[in-house]
Amino acid sequence: MKVWVDRDKCQGHTLCAMIAPDSFVLDDVDGHSTAVNEIVPEDQQDAVREAAQSCPEQAINIE
Amino acid sequence: MSIDDVSVDKPTPYHFDRHSPEYRLQFETITEEMHAKCPMAWTETYGGHWVAAGSKEVFELARCPVVSNDHDVSGTGTGYQGISIPVASRASYVRGGILEMDEPEHSNYRGVMNPYLSPAAIKRWVPFVDEITRAAIDEKIETGQIDFVEDLANVVPAVLTLAMMGVELNKWKVYSEPTHASVYTPEDSPDRERINEMHREMGLDIIKAMVEVKETPRPGLVSALVHAEIDGKPAPEIEILGNLGLVIGGGFDTTTALTAHALEWLGEHPEERKRLTEERDTLLAPATEEFLRFFTPAPGDGRTFAADTEFEGTQFKEGERLWLSWAMANRDPEVFENPNDIVLDRKGNRHFSFGLGVHRCAGSNVARTVFKSMLMAVLDRMPDYQCDPAGAVHYDTIGVIQGMRNLPATFTPGKRMGPGLEETLANLQRICDEQELARPITERKDTAVIDWK
Repeated sequence: MKVWVDRDKCQGHTLCAMIAPDSFVLDDVDGHSTAVNEIVPEDQQDAVREAAQSCPEQAINIE
Repeated sequence: MSIDDVSVDKPTPYHFDRHSPEYRLQFETITEEMHAKCPMAWTETYGGHWVAAGSKEVFELARCPVVSNDHDVSGTGTGYQGISIPVASRASYVRGGILEMDEPEHSNYRGVMNPYLSPAAIKRWVPFVDEITRAAIDEKIETGQIDFVEDLANVVPAVLTLAMMGVELNKWKVYSEPTHASVYTPEDSPDRERINEMHREMGLDIIKAMVEVKETPRPGLVSALVHAEIDGKPAPEIEILGNLGLVIGGGFDTTTALTAHALEWLGEHPEERKRLTEERDTLLAPATEEFLRFFTPAPGDGRTFAADTEFEGTQFKEGERLWLSWAMANRDPEVFENPNDIVLDRKGNRHFSFGLGVHRCAGSNVARTVFKSMLMAVLDRMPDYQCDPAGAVHYDTIGVIQGMRNLPATFTPGKRMGPGLEETLANLQRICDEQELARPITERKDTAVIDWK
């Protein structure tokens, strides 16, 4: 599984980091999200999927 | 031939008055009806405006670049009337800060405030917040009686906000009282002028803080805005005032509302209360989002179309007003299964309660942190609390904030853990000043340390 956050769409709702704290890191200053790693480890995939579904901006892409 | 030559019929008007008591009482029925018949509706109330009730409509229009937040207070610009429908009488001469700015101005000011409000910035305040909560509860813990709104949920958000601004903590009532009263007092109430006056006095106190911070440096949001450079120049004072008013108005009553509603609901569902207490490590975060979704403290915001546009066959004309209903979108069965049920571990909870798009609530991290602190302290120290339904007072109208004035409860008395509120606030003031807690995250990374000297 691959994951990336669309920086134009992310507005810092922070739900992704709540749901998949090992997979997303939030900017110190504005709270916007970046994927820790584009390749998602097996044991993080469920959480990353849930995070993508929970993003109010639908800014998280997975494939 | 221009677009003006073509007569475009609006859909049959749907009577929609958010400020009526009927709306609060019929909210779920009205929401279901609108989702079924007119998720995008035109209503003739308040001068006529569009209402986006469906999640799809809200999702697209909240992020649409020709939808404006502008409030042209001077009347010399766009003429747009900002985010309140109808315009609030107290807001007729001051813009509501970044929430009533479009780009690029919005991001210029928001950038000044971000380092004070980010998740990392707010995390530093957690021990401070827990200490205010501890003291507020200690005031009541031995009596077995509390009003969750007056004694707790009104207190903690106000004290923290003042700390973050750099205003003396012992002034919290000067800010808290008019802020709450301003929301629950209808525009046409005889109390309105008196409350507007209290609001103006609060405004004067803010202006005093703005003047003082130039002479005597104090870290915090007041200082950040006073010393900011916007397009290479200091921000106009009226905009500094507007942004500080937004931080206060946006942060007090909303957090109070969320906390009161959640405590009321948990009191009515003791098995869920117990489950949340015992499974907090996995349940507190999703439960917080679910309470946000279901109770949507800030039920929506107004917009103005800045250009003619179209969405899914509906034509909008420049200048027309729009109400984005976060609250109704939050109950859309297309996105939320069994939307009218509170499901503490709900999955896929992409709720609209902090808005959507660039204007996402900048205080969202504050709200979550303060809410969780108050909620868990109540669950831990008053686990058997019972609310008194006869004494609970919900706002008559939920047009501005879906809130509560009173939520009295009884519980098995417990033991005080420390000094009362007044003494604690004095101590927290010392801590705030010594540790410079109100500095931005870019200048200070350490978590607050609570000690007693």
